[in-house]
Amino acid sequence: MPGSPSKVMTLKEAVARFVRSGCSVGLGGQNIGRCAMAAMHEIVRQGHRDLTIYGCNLSISMDLLVGAGLVRRCESGTGNLERFGTTFSWRRGIEQGTLEVEDYSHLSMVSRFLAGEMGLPFMPVKSLLGSDILTYSSGSGFKKFDVIDNPWNRGEPVVLVPAATPDVSIIHVQKADPLGNLIIEGFATHEPEMVRASHHTIVTCEDLVETEDVRRDPERTTIAYPHVSAVVHQPWGAHPTSTYRYYDYDGDEIARYQAVAREGGEAYRRYLDEYVYGCATFEEYLAKVCSPARREELEAAMRAMI
Amino acid sequence: MSDYTLEELMVIEAARQIRDGDVVFVGTGLPLLATTFAQRRHAPNLCFVVESGAIAPLVLPTPISVSDPKLMHKAVRLGTLREVLGCLLQRGLVDVGFLGGAQIDRFGNINSTVIGDYAKPAVRLPGSGGGNDIASHAKRLLILTRHEKRRFPPHCDYVTSPGYLHGPDARKKAGLKVTHPSFTVVTDLAVLDIDPATAQLRIAALMPGVSVEQVKENTGFEPLVANPLGAVEPPSQEDARMLREEIDPGGLYLKKGR
Repeated sequence: MPGSPSKVMTLKEAVARFVRSGCSVGLGGQNIGRCAMAAMHEIVRQGHRDLTIYGCNLSISMDLLVGAGLVRRCESGTGNLERFGTTFSWRRGIEQGTLEVEDYSHLSMVSRFLAGEMGLPFMPVKSLLGSDILTYSSGSGFKKFDVIDNPWNRGEPVVLVPAATPDVSIIHVQKADPLGNLIIEGFATHEPEMVRASHHTIVTCEDLVETEDVRRDPERTTIAYPHVSAVVHQPWGAHPTSTYRYYDYDGDEIARYQAVAREGGEAYRRYLDEYVYGCATFEEYLAKVCSPARREELEAAMRAMI
Repeated sequence: MSDYTLEELMVIEAARQIRDGDVVFVGTGLPLLATTFAQRRHAPNLCFVVESGAIAPLVLPTPISVSDPKLMHKAVRLGTLREVLGCLLQRGLVDVGFLGGAQIDRFGNINSTVIGDYAKPAVRLPGSGGGNDIASHAKRLLILTRHEKRRFPPHCDYVTSPGYLHGPDARKKAGLKVTHPSFTVVTDLAVLDIDPATAQLRIAALMPGVSVEQVKENTGFEPLVANPLGAVEPPSQEDARMLREEIDPGGLYLKKGR
């Protein structure tokens, strides 16, 4: 494309360039859907530490980073995997005092990203009032919120939440072109606001498409390329979570992870050794846990729902 | 009378609280099951909304997560979290907010954050998610939970999502836009609502074969009792069949072996 170099690179290169120890990382996906798992494996292998994680629902992707000992703090609305249970590494970290959390609701978190993406310092919300989300904070000295009097309706309290601007956001999408134009199919959760609020964004995608295709149907573009730093072609990059129109979630592998996360300790270390540290690439992980026949099953299960 | 469990009737009774045409913002867990049932049984025009961004899907059984692709089936729009939590819910366009319960106190406040001290938790729970937003902004709140003493403490250790806070006008004083939401809790023992005079939970109707004493024994505080006290209608044979065979055929939510 004239004037716009390709942002396509390997996952190893993208993570090495844009993730640093001590940085803040915005995570996309939700629960069992479209979590950027391949990128998480690479962060664990490279060992970037002392991370602050931002998100709305944080699930298995966050839990893996916490379990690997890389996370200092989370700012989010929830940690859980619903029917598969809670996020056990996260829960253990909070209960043992090794992980700091700042609790918001999902609307107040996405409002923080909305402020960030528009270059504003804060955003008003009418949630949180009367609740203990405004009573307690992490105690880190961070100013979690303020409550002001509505200037246009005196006597009405309004909560202000601070902009959230992650150093790098990481998401997995269906389609991207080499410039970094992103096509998200199915629901987009908090990703558009979060990505546009971030200083950098790493994107893994199922399909790398031509920019000509994007220009032919520009209304399909969810996020335009100025917001994107790196594009990685990574089919099955959300496994074991689902990718709408591509494959369903892999309940067996989520359950395998949850069993070791619940147990922690040696069992968890063995999991990391076998499935993350012991694999040079995400393809090696996939070869171990998801046979071609299983992949066909998950693809067929998704097709049956569309 | 058909053969059914109180757990099944709890789901069916919660579904009955949803009217055809309602915009229903549905939280995770049993509410997903009950709303799927309502959509197929008596409320084909309900607008099913989940926080990941799906608007008005025709849900395929049996969704296990608010991001389950089964919840995207034939939606009119697959949008964003901000659209549904902001432009529908906070904007005031949601009729029913439907939540599963972690802990509910006598004023209908919900705790899904922490058991024990916030700074040094005995048990850390998932947190608000969209729960606080739903409880803050929906016109009617519908809560579905199994009736156990530990789920109904006198006071929540942490109020994640506001019920009536601590009195009839407390929501108004706190600045919430919906000051007096209609409030219904459906359990496997009873249906409870909020007594307008005290803003406290009140037993409104009993499940078949359940006594007031039984409800009280399984509640961590003394619930008020409505006068007259209602009775939950048993499910029809078709209700029970549909729930078992079409909505939760794999027994993902409801125990087998009736």
